[in-house]
Formats: sequence, C-alpha cells, structure tokens
Amino acid sequence: MENFASLLHGFGVALTTYHVLLMMVGVLLGILVGVLPGLGAPNGVSLLLPLTFTMDPVAAIILLTSMYWGALFGGSTTSILFNIPGEPSSVATTFDGYPMARQGQATRALTLAFLSAGFGALVGVLLITVLSTWVAKFALRFSSPEYFAVYFLAFASFVGLGAASPFKTIVSMGLGFAFAAVGMDTVSGGLRLTYGFSELLSGISFLIAVIGLFGLGELMLTMEEGLRFDGIRARVKVRDVFTTIATLPRYWVTLLRSSAIGCWMGIIPGGPTAASFMSYGLAKRLSRRKDGFGHGEPEGVVAPETADHAAGSSAILPMLALGVPGSATAAVMMGGLMIWGLNPGPMLFIERPDFVWGLIASMYLGNIVAVLMVLATIPLFASILRIPFAIIGPVIVVVCFIGAYTVAGRPFDLWLALAFGVVGYLFKKLDYPIAPLVLAMVLGDKAEDAFRQSMIMSRGSLSIFWSNGLVTTLMLIAIALALAPLLSTVFGRLVKPKASSAVA
Amino acid sequence: MISRYTAEIGTATLTAGLGLAAVVGALEFGIGWGDAGPEPGAFPFYIGLLVVAASIGTLIQATVGRHGLQSVFLHKDEAKRVASFFVPMLAFVVVARFLGLYVATALYLTFVMWVQGKYRLVIALASGIAGAVIFYLVLEVAFQVPLLKGPLEAALGLY
Repeated sequence: MENFASLLHGFGVALTTYHVLLMMVGVLLGILVGVLPGLGAPNGVSLLLPLTFTMDPVAAIILLTSMYWGALFGGSTTSILFNIPGEPSSVATTFDGYPMARQGQATRALTLAFLSAGFGALVGVLLITVLSTWVAKFALRFSSPEYFAVYFLAFASFVGLGAASPFKTIVSMGLGFAFAAVGMDTVSGGLRLTYGFSELLSGISFLIAVIGLFGLGELMLTMEEGLRFDGIRARVKVRDVFTTIATLPRYWVTLLRSSAIGCWMGIIPGGPTAASFMSYGLAKRLSRRKDGFGHGEPEGVVAPETADHAAGSSAILPMLALGVPGSATAAVMMGGLMIWGLNPGPMLFIERPDFVWGLIASMYLGNIVAVLMVLATIPLFASILRIPFAIIGPVIVVVCFIGAYTVAGRPFDLWLALAFGVVGYLFKKLDYPIAPLVLAMVLGDKAEDAFRQSMIMSRGSLSIFWSNGLVTTLMLIAIALALAPLLSTVFGRLVKPKASSAVA
Repeated sequence: MISRYTAEIGTATLTAGLGLAAVVGALEFGIGWGDAGPEPGAFPFYIGLLVVAASIGTLIQATVGRHGLQSVFLHKDEAKRVASFFVPMLAFVVVARFLGLYVATALYLTFVMWVQGKYRLVIALASGIAGAVIFYLVLEVAFQVPLLKGPLEAALGLY
C-alpha cells in the first residue's frame, strides 16, 4: 500500500537526532505539565506554541505532540498516586488506580496504565496510517456545504454525546463562535463586535482563551479546595515493571475492545474523556470480576487508559484529514498548524506529504519514547508535587501570564486571560463544558466562511444542505445527535409519566 | 455563602448578556442579504440569538429545578481562599502594565511567598528576584522572546 511507503519516508524525516531530542524534551515538559494542576495538555500546548514560531513546522509539531503524550501520562500519574485527575480524561483512572496504589501496588498500577496507554496510542496511530489517505481522498469531494455539515456534526456530537446539559453546551459553543467573530471580518473588512476598543482589532486569540480557561480557571478552582498533595510515595521497582509487563497479555480482550472504543470516539469526535468513561463502564459490565471494579481491579486501569490514549491519537486523524479537531488539544494544535501556514485538510496531504507523514511517523516514535521516559522519571515528578502550593501556584500563574503575553505581545491579552480565568472558574464549577468553546474559537472563522460560501452558492437558500447524498447524511446525523438529549427526555417522560424526572 | 441556584442564575444572565452584546454589535453590519451574499452581521447575529435562547433555557432549567439547587456553591472560607489567590493575580496584571512583566513577577512571587507561604521576607524576596531572572534568561536569551518591560529595564538599558 502506498501508505506504508509514505510512512517509511516519514520515518526518514522524523528520525533525526534533533527530532528525537525534541521528543524527549517534549515528553518531559508534557509530564511536568500533566502532573501540575492548572497546566494541562491544551494549556501546555498553548504555552509552547508561541515559542515554536521560529522552528520549522515538522520539528514544532513533533515537540507539541510529544508534549501531548507526556501530559496524558502525567495526568494518569496524579490520578493513581494522588487521586487527583491531571486531565479530565484521567478521571476514570482514579476509580481503580488509586485503590491499587493504596494497597501498595503503585508500581503495578502505574506500569499497567502506561503500557495500556502506549498500546492504545499505537493502535490509534496505526489507524491514522491506514485510513488517512482514504479519508483525505474522500474529503477532496467536500465543498463548502459538506464542510459546514461536518463542523455542525462535530458540535452536535458534543451536545448529543457530552455529559453536560445541552443548553450549557450550546451556550459554550455559541460564545466561542462569538469570540471568534470579534475583530476584522475576512470577507468585508469590517470591524465586528469591537465596540470601539482598538485593542480588539485583531480579535481574541484562542490561545489566550485556553490559557485563561484551562490554566487560571483551574488554579482558582484548586485554590478553593486549599489543595494539599498527600500522595503515595512512588518508587518504581524495576522488577515489578517487568512482572507487570508479563501480565499484560492477560487483558488482551480489554485492550482490543478499549482501543476500538477509543479510536471510534476519537474520530467521530466524542473526545478522550467520553472514551475513557465508556470503556470503563463497558469493561465493568462485561468482566468476570466486576465486583472488583472500584477497589483496585487492574482491568479497571487498563480499560480507561487504553481508550483515553487511543482517542487522543485518533483525534488527530479528523484534524489532519478534514480540518475538524476531535478534542480541545487537537483544536489547539490545529490552530498552531494554521498559524504556521499549513492548512489542515485533504490539500495538506497533497501539498505537504513530508510534513504529514513525518508527523505520523513521529507519533509512533514519540509514544515509545514517552513510555520509556515516563517509567524512568516518575518518582522525580511525583516528588515535585511535594513542593508547597504556595510556591508552585504563583509560579504557574506567572508562566500562564507570560505565555499569554508571548502570543501577540499585547498587554491587553493579560486582561483577557484574567477575564477568561474567571469565566473558566465559573464554568467549571457550574458544569459548563469548555471544550466546545475552544473548538468554536478555533473553527469559528472556517465554519462561518463555509456557511457564507454555501449561502452564496445557493443564493440564500438553505436547501443546499440537502442537495446531495453526502451532505444530507452528515446533516441528518448531526441533527439526530443534537436532538438526542431532547428526545431522550421526552421519551423518558412519555414512558413513565408519573415518575418525577429531574431535567438532565 | 452563595447557593448554587444563585450562581446558576447569575452566570446564565451573564452569558445572556454576552449573547445580547453579540446581537447588538452585529446589527451594525446588517443581518440580511447583501449584494454578495450574507452580510457580515448575519452570522454573529444568529449566534448571539442562539446564546441568548440557550441561556434562557438554562435559566428556566435552574428555576424549575430550584429545590435541587440549594446546595452551597461557595462557602465563606472557600471564597476567602479564592479571593486571596485572585486579588494578587489582579494586582500582578496591573503592575505588569506599568512596571513590566519581570518586576511584576518578582513582586508577585515575593508577596505571595511572604504573605501566604509564610516564608521570611528575605527568602521570599530572594526567590522572587531569582524567579524573574530565570524567566529573563530562559525567554529573552534562550528563546529570543521579548516580554513587556517597564521603566526599570529602560534604566538598566535592557530592551
């Protein structure tokens, strides 16, 4: 298959000493970012992005994706050792990981988590290798209405598959689009929604939003609980690592099933968090040891971790091939690609195959490097959390603000970041989902352009969205997903009219 | 002590207000059909309407489920902790505006370590200055990324 030839060529691009060094640095930074509160994968990638402007795109994306893997691993570490999920997608890992650690099996839990994660991620990358050119060719048939339908589908799936209230998801998404619309309009040149503030001329950058929402907001939330890290000491005993590796094949069913769930959720896009919960739930229901779940059952660590990382990797596929990111971090990376002048989508495969295949090859390498490095450095990172929050917290705050300033060199962005921090704090406390906001900010201009062009093509009629089989199918699935919460509430009431149903 | 219900209502009102701002701002550019397709204001207008509608939905949901939402949103001591974190952040931004990011970093780190970490002033001051210097070396020298500077740097001749 031509794909494997391209992949081998990609390995040639990716396997240089410089790139491997970048992978190691990226993974280390990622683990650090994943372990510390207030810095997560989307935030960490946003902070690094302005520093990569002077690098060439292949090196830069290798650094960022390595950081992404590192952050995911770091998030699992704090879930297991401290019962604090470092990433929303590591929440499910706390259910069995922390009990295992408390029973003295910390090394085993960590090793299982990292290895399953590595397996899931590799399956995801394999999927990308096999499917990407097919998807890209398919996407070449896309015109503006199809693109708009795909964006609509992405947002509808957040509404339909997400755990949050549909109203809140729509608010979050709509605000993201509104923020994206601020500034100069690309078509007419007019200055929209600036209300006379000259600082808003160049719009609101999604990077500032991510730093504020995920960084400062998270820190404020952590502060509220007066966090103290009473963690379990982790010393990785090398012998335990090898014995655990030997036990891994026992869970092959779980591994395969969770990878499948993860890949599916990464592509549609449901996101790594949804994937990890779904995988855990399914594993619990189908396992012979279901009573052990929640009390330190190893399968309860393998299932969510595999799905989480499989989804995280496969979310890159729709981002690269279609230009539709499947998670908040993929959205930030896509924003980075656009800043570097690379347009994700089918044309990227045609115009810059060296970049695309170099990236995919680096994902294989990056994962292997990440698993090795994380096993070696875990005790070091776990001990970082013993530094009192009175020192770490402010340092993270300074890093966030400096990061916000480096985006565009505008002092106004510091105020924006602060404002987004307050919004992020409120939203997190009130269960407003933030990922749709970030996605809408990254995709806002493209979605709007797609809509306007479709309208121009159809001279104002909405029927263009039903004009051919492809776009109709996409729109139908999207509408079904968007209405799913409403329909399920209605059916719930019809079936049991007497039971009091709390509105979801 | 703020109840969850109050917080929900307040936030939903805030989001509705933002949506309204989008609607009003969009009207300025026209929301109908221009000579070459939809006018620039059309998309923000409908988005704004969507946000307002969904915010009203949240308001209704909160009002209907009022009894379930009486749990505490923010305790007094929680609020104090958050405020003690937020106010120095706010001060940091203000100081950064006038004195540059490095001076602000040094002052912020010193203040927080001294007041909240209860370290001795000398140690806090030393750490604050060390932090600012480290950031300078990493960012300006290694990555060549210029940061906001103020009168102190100008006096020292650093650009």
